[in-house]
This record gives sequence, C-alpha cells and structure tokens, in this order.
Amino acid sequence: MRAPFAAIEWTGSATVGAIRSVGSAARFIRDVALGLREMRVVARESLVQARRLGVDSLPIAVFIAIFTGIVLALLASYSFTGAVPLYFVGTLVEKTITLELAPVLTGLALAGRVGANIAAELGTMRVTEQIDALETLGYDPLSFLVAPRVIAGLAMFPVVVAIAMIVGCSAAWLASISLLQLSSQEFAKGLRLFFEVFDVRYGLVKSSSFGLAVTLIGSSRGLDARGGATGVGRAATSAVVYSAVAILTLDAFWAVTWLLGREGP
Amino acid sequence: MKRGNDLLVGVVVIGAIVSTTLSVAWVKQSDIGRRQRDVTAHFRDVGNARVGNAVVVRGVVGGRIQAIELAPDGWVNVRMKLDPSVRLPSDPVVLLNESSLFGDWQATVVERTALPADAKVRAEVSEASTENGVLPGTSLPGIGELTAVAGQIAGDVATVATRFGTAFDDAAARELHESIRNVSVLSATLRNVVGGHASDLDTLSRQLQRAIVTLDRAATRVEMTATRIDSATTSDNTRRAIDNFIVASAELRHTATQIRGLSARLEVTEAKVDDFLSTGESVLKKVDRGQGTLGLLVNDPSLYRRTDSVLTELRALVTDLRANPKKYISVRLF
Repeated sequence: MRAPFAAIEWTGSATVGAIRSVGSAARFIRDVALGLREMRVVARESLVQARRLGVDSLPIAVFIAIFTGIVLALLASYSFTGAVPLYFVGTLVEKTITLELAPVLTGLALAGRVGANIAAELGTMRVTEQIDALETLGYDPLSFLVAPRVIAGLAMFPVVVAIAMIVGCSAAWLASISLLQLSSQEFAKGLRLFFEVFDVRYGLVKSSSFGLAVTLIGSSRGLDARGGATGVGRAATSAVVYSAVAILTLDAFWAVTWLLGREGP
Repeated sequence: MKRGNDLLVGVVVIGAIVSTTLSVAWVKQSDIGRRQRDVTAHFRDVGNARVGNAVVVRGVVGGRIQAIELAPDGWVNVRMKLDPSVRLPSDPVVLLNESSLFGDWQATVVERTALPADAKVRAEVSEASTENGVLPGTSLPGIGELTAVAGQIAGDVATVATRFGTAFDDAAARELHESIRNVSVLSATLRNVVGGHASDLDTLSRQLQRAIVTLDRAATRVEMTATRIDSATTSDNTRRAIDNFIVASAELRHTATQIRGLSARLEVTEAKVDDFLSTGESVLKKVDRGQGTLGLLVNDPSLYRRTDSVLTELRALVTDLRANPKKYISVRLF
C-alpha cells in the first residue's frame, strides 16, 4: 500500500517544485524588469558590463568563428565533390554560419565565459554579504547588479555574433580560395545565391535571446549562492549548465516558431 | 578610464553595425547612392521570380527586380531598377525564367524578334503589349515542368525498353537462329529433290517430243495412204473405215500438239523454280555466313549479349533519370 502513495507523493512534489521554479524564475524576471526603472544607474553600469561581457569576449568569439569557417568550407567541399557545383560551398557556409553556427557556438562559448563570470561574481558578493550591505544602504541589487548585466547581454551578444558571422564567412572564403579549387568570384556567387537579410536578422535576434537567458541564469544562480566558496563554485557550474541547456532550447524554439513553414528564397 | 571604456564599447558596437550593414549590402549587391532608372513590365504570371532577382540584358546583369505587385485585370507588374548605362533593345520584351537548376530566377530583356519560337510565349507577349511604356513580358516554363515532361518521356522509353527486352530475350534469339538454319536445310533438300526430278522431266519431255514427232509423221503417212486407198476403192465399208481412220488421225495430232504445249510450259516453270531456289539459297548462305544485319544478329552471340546489356543499362539509366532528373538534365534557356 505504501508504494502507490509514495509515487503519488513524489509526483505531487515534483509538480509543485516545477511550478515553484517557474514562479520564482518569473518573479526574478519581473523584479529585474522593475529594476530597470532606475535607468540612470542601469545605463551607467550597463556600459561597464558591455565592455566586460561583450568587448572582452570578442577574442574567443573570433577564434571560434575562424576555425568554424575554415572547417565548414572544407567539410562542404568534401561533401559536394562531384555531384554539386563547388560554389555551393559559399551557400552552405553563409546559411550555416549566419543561421546556426555563429549564434549557437558563440552563445555556448559566452555561456561558459559570461554565465560563469556573472554567477561567480554575484555568488561571491552574496556569500561575503556584500549584497546584504547594498540592500542595507538602500540600493536595489537587481537594479544595480543584475539589470545592467542583462541589458549588456541583450545588446552585446548580437554585436559579438555579428562580428563572428563576418569573420566566419571571411575565414571560409580565405580557406576556399587558398585550400580549394575555388575562386573568389565563385565563392561570392554561392554566398549570394540564396542569401536573404532574414538570415542575419534571425541569427541576431536568436543571439540576443541567448544573451538574455545567459545573463538572467548567471545572475539568478549567483544571487542564490550559499555556503562559501563551494557554493560559489556550484553556482558557477550550474549557471554554465543551465545556460547551455537554455541556449539549445531557445535555438529549437526559434527554429520551430520562426523558420518552420517560412518560405525560402 | 570610464571614458576609455565607453569609447571602446562604442567603437565595437558601431563597427559591428557598420560592418554587418556593409557586408549585407555587398552580398545583396545593393547599389547604394547610384542613380538608376525604373523599368516596369507586366505579366500574367511571374512564376518564382522574387524581389532582388537579376535583370539580364544580352547575358549581362544590368539591374535587379525592385518590386512585384498585383495589377488590375489579372496582371502582375514587375518593377526593375536598371543601371543607366544599360541600353535596352529597340522593341524590348521581358522573359522571366530560371537561371539555374537550383531555383533562382532572372528577368531577361530580349528583342521581340529574339523570342523563343513558341506560339504560347508569343501569344502571351502579344497580349501583354501595351502602349503606355510598360514592357510586355511572360514567364517561361520552370525546371519542374520540364522535369515532369522529361519524366514522362523517360517512362515511355522505359516501357518500350521493357517490351523490347521481353520480346527479344535469349530464348527468342536462339529459336530464331534455329528456325533460319532449319529453313536453310529444307531449302537445300528441296533444291536437290527438284533438281533430280527436273532431269527426269527433261528426259521425259524430250522422249515425249520425239514420240510426238514420230507419231505426227506416222499420222501423215497414214493419211496419205488412206487418201490413196480412198481413191483406189469405192466401196462404202472401205470408205467409212477410211473416214474413221482420218478422224482418229486428226484427234491424235491435236493431242500431240497439246502435249507439246504442256511440255513447253513445264520447262518454263522448272526454270522459274530453279531460279527462285538459287536466289533463296544464296540469301540463306549469306545469313549463315554472318553477312548482313540478320546474319550478324543470328550468328554473333556477342551482339545479342550487347543488345541485352544495352537494354539493362537503358533500364538503369531510366530509373536513375527518374530518381535524379537534375543529374542529367541541364536546362539553360538563355
């Protein structure tokens, strides 16, 4: 008799826990949105965070984009041997990089760098009671600490991804003309063949949502950190893991809601 | 420090925006700041033409499609931006057609006299011709339609190939070969038989002719003797006997004449049969030696195998053509 009751109890507990998680996440997002009221503080801090989250992340994003572009060009030429004209390397590179690889790979890299950074920083502030001190002094930690990071993530992720797109396509171009039997004109022909402005718009909007998710998750995990250095480490780890999961989930979400059923060029 | 930070962020953001905008403009081949002239053409249907497709004049890209709009009375207006240096033909017509197998379309401006010799195309262009400066246009069949026709042709070829393969299989070839050999043997036997009988008929005919000549001479003599007897005798019995004898003699001569004619016709018929058999035997010998198409077909087993192999390859080709029509069909309309 005990087993069925235990199962029902576990189901109820899991459901309540899930609802509570969703509720606390929604409440956190609402509080961050309310924190944007103090625009002067947010704007000032946002620029600092834009430098730390965006500009300082450019090297890793560019590094990833260069190698992604080169490998993609070589993979495309390997796959197209014979049946498909080689200038389709440009088409595949453009579509793949702008629609998927630049936003997702850059997002995952920034999830590790930015998400862990935010969680560790806010977690340390939490366990050393600096956040409590801010609250005592009358500062809203969400306005002062979280909202600028979210604004910076929202704004700077597309900037980094846009540069990654250009660098990735350029690297693929250079790889094509130096390593493959492909001229610049042919690569450009393939690049232009099915290009649509929508591809860039889609990638940038997607990356902006990644920035929002990564900064919100990092901030949330950091503010919830407990128990000293171990808690901070745990918060950083969970921020990276949750951010990666959120990026992949959002990637699928955008594909289903925006790409599915959309007519190609 | 703070100012430097702001500057750096600003540079990165503005740089990213500018470089992205320029990259998109370059990829889209946008003509920012260039003066261009508008040309409008109208169509009944624009197929898969899209805004941004190239406008080609004498094989050179001279502009882009700027807008595609529905117009009254079932027309579609296509507005094109052309480079000012592009000179249109004196009586221009716009054709919308696929520029490659991969679905991208283009607008091709051609002289009216250079239109494809297709009554439907010419009728559509004629219908679209107006006096108000709007160019007439029509869209040409897409790869899909052409592929469908090619698929139908491939299906017909496959059916014919299958039927041919069914009718002319290995067993049928062997049976044909065997039948021709049998006819050859039969012909030779018939010729031998007819040859042997022909010599007998010759001999018989000659003997018969000699006998008729002899008989004719004898009849003549009998008639002369009878005349003499007639003149020498006057009794009725003798005279009646002589008259009967004369009648019998005349009938005998008539019969001999008929036999002679029959013999002559028999000689002619024999000659014709001999000639026919010689010709037939000559043809069959050629077939047996492997001369001519039939001889090669019958005597050369490799020819049959090659035919069978060709049919197998043709079937495979047709199957592959149905599965991957784009692999074989490269349609360049212009």
